[in-house]
Amino acid sequence: MISRRTLLAGGAGTALALSARPRIVVGQTNEPIRLGVITPLSGLQEFIGSFVRNGAEVAAQMINKAGGVDGRPIVLEVRDEKANPAAATTVARELLGNGITLQLGTISSTVALAYGPLMQAENGINLTCGAGTEKINHENYNPHVFRIGDGTYRMRAQARLMAERFPAVTSWTGIIPDHEYGRTVWAVFVDGLLEFYPAVAGKPPTIIDPIIVPYGSGDYRNFITQAVRTPARGIVNATYGGDAATFFQQARPYGLFRERVLMDAANEFIVANALKDQVPKHWTGSHWYYAGNSSALSRAFAEAYAARTGEAMPMGWAGEAQAAVSAYAAAIAKARSTETPAVIAALKDLTWDTVTGPRTMRREDNQAVKDLEMIQLEPDPGAARGFKVSDYVRVEGAGVIEPPTPGRKMSLRAPA
Amino acid sequence: MLADWPSLLFNALGWGMATFLVAAGLTLIFGILHVLNFSHGGVFMLGAYVAFTLTRWSGTGGLASFLGASLLAALATGVVGLAVDRAVFRRLAAVDGAYVLVATYALLLVCNGVAKLVWGLNVFSAAPPESLMTVTVAGDVVMPHYALFVIGAGLSVYLGLEWLLNRTAAGRMIQAIAADPWMARLLGIDVGLVYTGTVVLGFALAGLAGGLLVANQSLSPDLAGIFIIQAFGVVIVGGMGSIRGAFLASLLLGLVDSFGSALLPSMPGILFFVALALVLLVRPQGLLGSGRLA
Repeated sequence: MISRRTLLAGGAGTALALSARPRIVVGQTNEPIRLGVITPLSGLQEFIGSFVRNGAEVAAQMINKAGGVDGRPIVLEVRDEKANPAAATTVARELLGNGITLQLGTISSTVALAYGPLMQAENGINLTCGAGTEKINHENYNPHVFRIGDGTYRMRAQARLMAERFPAVTSWTGIIPDHEYGRTVWAVFVDGLLEFYPAVAGKPPTIIDPIIVPYGSGDYRNFITQAVRTPARGIVNATYGGDAATFFQQARPYGLFRERVLMDAANEFIVANALKDQVPKHWTGSHWYYAGNSSALSRAFAEAYAARTGEAMPMGWAGEAQAAVSAYAAAIAKARSTETPAVIAALKDLTWDTVTGPRTMRREDNQAVKDLEMIQLEPDPGAARGFKVSDYVRVEGAGVIEPPTPGRKMSLRAPA
Repeated sequence: MLADWPSLLFNALGWGMATFLVAAGLTLIFGILHVLNFSHGGVFMLGAYVAFTLTRWSGTGGLASFLGASLLAALATGVVGLAVDRAVFRRLAAVDGAYVLVATYALLLVCNGVAKLVWGLNVFSAAPPESLMTVTVAGDVVMPHYALFVIGAGLSVYLGLEWLLNRTAAGRMIQAIAADPWMARLLGIDVGLVYTGTVVLGFALAGLAGGLLVANQSLSPDLAGIFIIQAFGVVIVGGMGSIRGAFLASLLLGLVDSFGSALLPSMPGILFFVALALVLLVRPQGLLGSGRLA
């Protein structure tokens, strides 16, 4: 027989347990998911970092508005990494120390390469949002770093487009800045030219040594003079941001781009916004062209972005940030956990929806497979911004991505 | 490569005079106040933004409005110089030079912040005036008229400073203060006033350079760092504080940079730093560094 004292004690215990249980459930279901957004908010890449930050904030806002991840809201902790590996690892370590192990926002190749050992040692994850080096998923592959966007294979897609659109333009050179990203762009573009010109145009391309230009120069006339002298009928440009605008502007009197096809690596609207109706007609790669993607998600994101920032023509890095935040959301929902090993496992082979459509994270090398987007820009004095997008092309990523070789150098074709 | 030497020579002149335009104010302030003004690139950038904004407002695209905007930019940055002299340089006149260096670096950050607040992070671009958009082709050499204009502007500023410092009473007074401010004070010269005038002129020259060069550059807060390394190189090679030395160094380093890009195409810009190191090894005081200003 149960004594009154035992009954009271048992009842009190049960009541205590019942009263405690809802607290545990609330803690598990409503506790915010904290993501670290570490991107340049000062220095030379601040302009791009501003798109990443705003894009991540808009993406988190949209997910939260739709109910969060299994009811849990996403909260962002934003830090400035100045596009500097030392500064970046310092703030990343600070967030890791505070338990924020899920991080995103890297756009600099050198920063992305510095994160691998740190994330592995501290049990964190980094999703890069535009870092271009092929080393991330090849010789410097690290299981804790994922590239959620297009990697170096974007330049292969751009080479294929050139072979399709300009089969007669078989001689190519490059305007290549003297740094890691520039040399990667050139090497992969050449690899694409050597594969796709024979396959698509039926002719092998002639590769002319690129013109290597200094980073952050105020005077490019010697290099423009060299470029004018080359017999190349096609030029790929890898100078970036203000450097590219300065180069294009100084090249105008020389007529460098008048009779040549110009493929720009990834300036999106930066150069056109600066030069307006003086911009030369050219193609450029885009991580996400808002007007070319008609999905409900893309439209809603572009609208929310414009409402938040006043920018009606968002650039692709905002889309990369959206893809990173939504990758975490999808992986956490799949894993039902925010623990690093579970999220890493969930990210592998994950297919998730983004503003550019579905992407799949390749298991072997943590490289996302996504469609590549390119736009053609040309001057239009009648347009409000002085230029217009005159063409838009989408290339299926699976058709141009290189095979995975984690831990080994990427194998590239080189001219004989 | 070197068969293109006439083009390389022309481009060297353009590089040299553009760099001299930026370096002139820097070396002037160092020559008189012995202050290495880290904020000079920031003031140059603000001058470019002011001229760009004024040109856009005027909407004419003519040479007169371009020159007017550049002069107004010089005036604006000159006023900034006056404020900086009162608020910073005078207050720090009696303390160790390291504090002044830190203060001018802080000023550079302020310039950067002002540019971001007022004009944002976007990259802008201003076209040269319509009359300077054309080119002259002589043989294989393409000479954009805007580049010829910059060469002319650099020469004019140099000759103007030479005249000011060597042919006027004010210039002689400036040189006397540069050589021995204590003695100049004993002789009744208002040293403080000359210091202020020098800072105003140095800042105005930076603003003028920004206005004149904006049509050949993209405009963003990064512009503060674009010419400044070359300008410091020119000031060091020429001899700290020497206008004439800076002018010669601009020409010399322009030639080195230009021909270096043809000789070592895979390592652009490296010969500039090699030349800088060599000059410092052989002649640490610079080409004309002897304490003389002109």
